[in-house]
Amino acid sequence: MFVLDDLLFGPFVNILDAIHTVALDELYDIEALEDERKENRLLYELGERSETEYRDRKEAIEDELEVAREAHEHLRSGRVEVKR
Amino acid sequence: MSNRYVYGIVESGADLEFETDAVGGADRVYTVSHRRYEAVVSDIDTTEPEETDEDARRHDEVLREIMARTNGHPIVPMRFGMAFESNRALKNVIRGARSAFRRAIRDIEGRIELGLKLVTEADADVDRAEIEELVAETLEPLAVQSVENDDFSDRLVVNRSYLVEESACEQFDEAVAELEDHPNLEDVIVQYTGPFAPYSFVDVTIGAR
Repeated sequence: MFVLDDLLFGPFVNILDAIHTVALDELYDIEALEDERKENRLLYELGERSETEYRDRKEAIEDELEVAREAHEHLRSGRVEVKR
Repeated sequence: MSNRYVYGIVESGADLEFETDAVGGADRVYTVSHRRYEAVVSDIDTTEPEETDEDARRHDEVLREIMARTNGHPIVPMRFGMAFESNRALKNVIRGARSAFRRAIRDIEGRIELGLKLVTEADADVDRAEIEELVAETLEPLAVQSVENDDFSDRLVVNRSYLVEESACEQFDEAVAELEDHPNLEDVIVQYTGPFAPYSFVDVTIGAR
């Protein structure tokens, strides 16, 4: 019976794992945050953002990046519990 | 502080030592030699420097000062963040990468890097393909080589770095000025930067610390 369960539900569980990983990747999208950091710098250099706006946004993006990097670190270490 | 922060590699004989605002609050730039090559360095209290705006600017400015002081003597520029825990570790890396430095110096001698970003005005709708073609037709013939950089914003139409012979630099400046006045670039902001040491055209990674 256990063998049958594994055969029936095994692939389904793997798909759930994959979906969960993709969802986490999107939630903590390091590349998108890096792009946003560069765009913030560019808009400041072009004079479209004041120094205060630039620094505030930069700080916020860097905080988000730190969280995202930690999340990815946990993902890679396998220490994230996948709830089903 | 025995850690060394590296700006670039030059051939021996450049004899560089000067005081300046360097990365990590250092105030002196000097060289560490290993046979045919010298690493241009300053002291730093870490081997993992954080890339703050201020230190990124200092890194660029020190490289420009080195370029000015070496008077055309090529420097293989390092990207921000290369720091080593001792002269010995640094010399080991120079030894291991000497053939790569030789090739890099040959590729960049007498050449500089210039950067061009074309950014649409906010909410402007432009013909991107037409602009890309115009820029390529105008600038590519004047450059030895060019590379496309990150497309990190929806407003970026062009983001390229050009490797240009120092003798063609003025001609390149004039071509960019003409582009700025081109009617097809009415809704586009031109950001022209440089000259830089040719970061984008040197493929040398030195990783051991």
